Amino acid sequence: MTRKVLFWLGITIILFAVLTPFLWIYLTMFKSHGDIYVMGLSKFFVFEPTLANFKRVFTSTTFLLEIRNTAIICVASTALVMAFSLPAAYSFARWNTGGGHLLFITISTRMFPPALAAIPFYIVFSKLGLVDTHIGLTLLFIYFNMSFATFLLFGFFREIPVELEQAARVDGYGGFGIFWKIIFPLIKPGAAITAVFCLVWAWNEFFFASLFTRINARVVSLSMPIWHGGGAGVEWGPMMVVFGLSLLPTLLAAWFMQRYIVRGLTFGAVKG
Amino acid sequence: MPANTDEAVYGIQEKRTLWGVLTSEKYFKWTLLIPLLTMLSVFMLYPLFYCLFYSTQDWTLVGKSVFVGLDNYRTVLRDPAFWLSLRNTFQIMVMCLTGELVLGMGIALILNRKFRGQDTVRGLCLLPLLASPLAMSLTWNLLLHYDVGMVNQALSAIWLPKINFFSLGMGRYTIALITIWQWFPFSVFVLLAGLKGLPRDAFEAAKVDGASAWFTFRRLTLPMLSPLIMIVVLLRTMWLIRLFDPIYGTLRQTREAETLDYFVFRIAFSYFDIGVGSTLAVISLFLTIIICAVLFRRLMLALEAAR
Repeated sequence: MTRKVLFWLGITIILFAVLTPFLWIYLTMFKSHGDIYVMGLSKFFVFEPTLANFKRVFTSTTFLLEIRNTAIICVASTALVMAFSLPAAYSFARWNTGGGHLLFITISTRMFPPALAAIPFYIVFSKLGLVDTHIGLTLLFIYFNMSFATFLLFGFFREIPVELEQAARVDGYGGFGIFWKIIFPLIKPGAAITAVFCLVWAWNEFFFASLFTRINARVVSLSMPIWHGGGAGVEWGPMMVVFGLSLLPTLLAAWFMQRYIVRGLTFGAVKG
Repeated sequence: MPANTDEAVYGIQEKRTLWGVLTSEKYFKWTLLIPLLTMLSVFMLYPLFYCLFYSTQDWTLVGKSVFVGLDNYRTVLRDPAFWLSLRNTFQIMVMCLTGELVLGMGIALILNRKFRGQDTVRGLCLLPLLASPLAMSLTWNLLLHYDVGMVNQALSAIWLPKINFFSLGMGRYTIALITIWQWFPFSVFVLLAGLKGLPRDAFEAAKVDGASAWFTFRRLTLPMLSPLIMIVVLLRTMWLIRLFDPIYGTLRQTREAETLDYFVFRIAFSYFDIGVGSTLAVISLFLTIIICAVLFRRLMLALEAAR
């Protein structure tokens, strides 16, 4: 009995710690400036809801355009990352191509300080006219997500027994046939997890986005820090509206992912 | 399997066209890598050589660059701000790795049990990992606010002293706290996968022998999870050296918790000192590669052993 109480107490504490910041965002969204700067614990929940913050965000920024841009860039970059990473991860997992060195080099793309990678990219991109375009940021997000996607997929591919492929080979399938007809259906849950990670991290990316987009391809993460600091001080209300709305796709992603993630992120270290 | 068996099955269809060669048994594994390697060579080699070149130049985006040999390296190594950022990076890294692994292990053990609503709880635990780090660190500004922040108001409601989370000397801990909150689900879900893959019989044997829970955990669970713990350490080390968003979100006006990456950012984008910035990037890159190569090698050995 005590164990059970302790267990549920643990769950409660975990959920409290996880959910409080999100609860805060969705409460503060509806608070007026005065209600945010008020002392007393009860005042956190007792306030007069207002839609003024929404009005401020939608009239003074290009929020909807930003959401649209972000969605386009996320989907395009994720599709391309998967097209590059799926075959590569399969090759790494199945034949240990490059003896582990190539896989390490792939992973090491993320070891380069983005602040410095950004400068040569910026110079080339401005020559090619790719700054502030959807294509430009899509390319950068491919670079940004490719290494982790390959490593994660590598793990999922490793769980598939080799014997399965040998059987398919005897049945007369060629290399691509085996990949599409036999391996891909098995890798689907893993591919789904990987794709959602790529989507979400592209959605959240701030650094490259802040340097490479301005007006045309402006993405939603650029609208986050503008309410913080600057001349007018901190405007928590509108900021939380931006967060709350831009978090919605993420909540959807989490809901979608929890069905698949029950197996967890294995990275090939768990025997299937 | 001997190679000629494959040829017997395969050889008939194989044609001497480019496509035939690309899909042949021998080259297929490389064919699969062509798209990735093309992207890599463009996106990695170019900035790498660019930085190696400009680390020997004196250039601030205006005028022509001047060759200065290793002067930039001397400048960087003599700069106390560099050593401070290095110290901050490693302190935050150690705090986060410890916090995330301990919390992750504990929560993975809790979530590994069967209980009602476990899928919902797991899905909710994913949220911090998927939420925007910039948005969340900006939100933590409000939650940890000295006067109106929820945390400090709760502390003073139970007669505890308030904490000034963004004061001098506290910045590193606040950044670590925010980062642990954001990333603990990652270790939870990696370790959860490991816990599910554990062989049952060994644990039943330990139970029959009357081993204590702690003994079983130390002697059975931890060693068996070590490849996964290594994966978490490898990936998180890599990402923690690159920590940027939480510092930008909370302490960008001060140099209180400046990490290596933030320092590079400041040099490159506030001072536009490409020479020194490139030097920093090269140093930071090689530092990361050395640390991660060691971890990666151990991981590959562990993975081979697990097969």
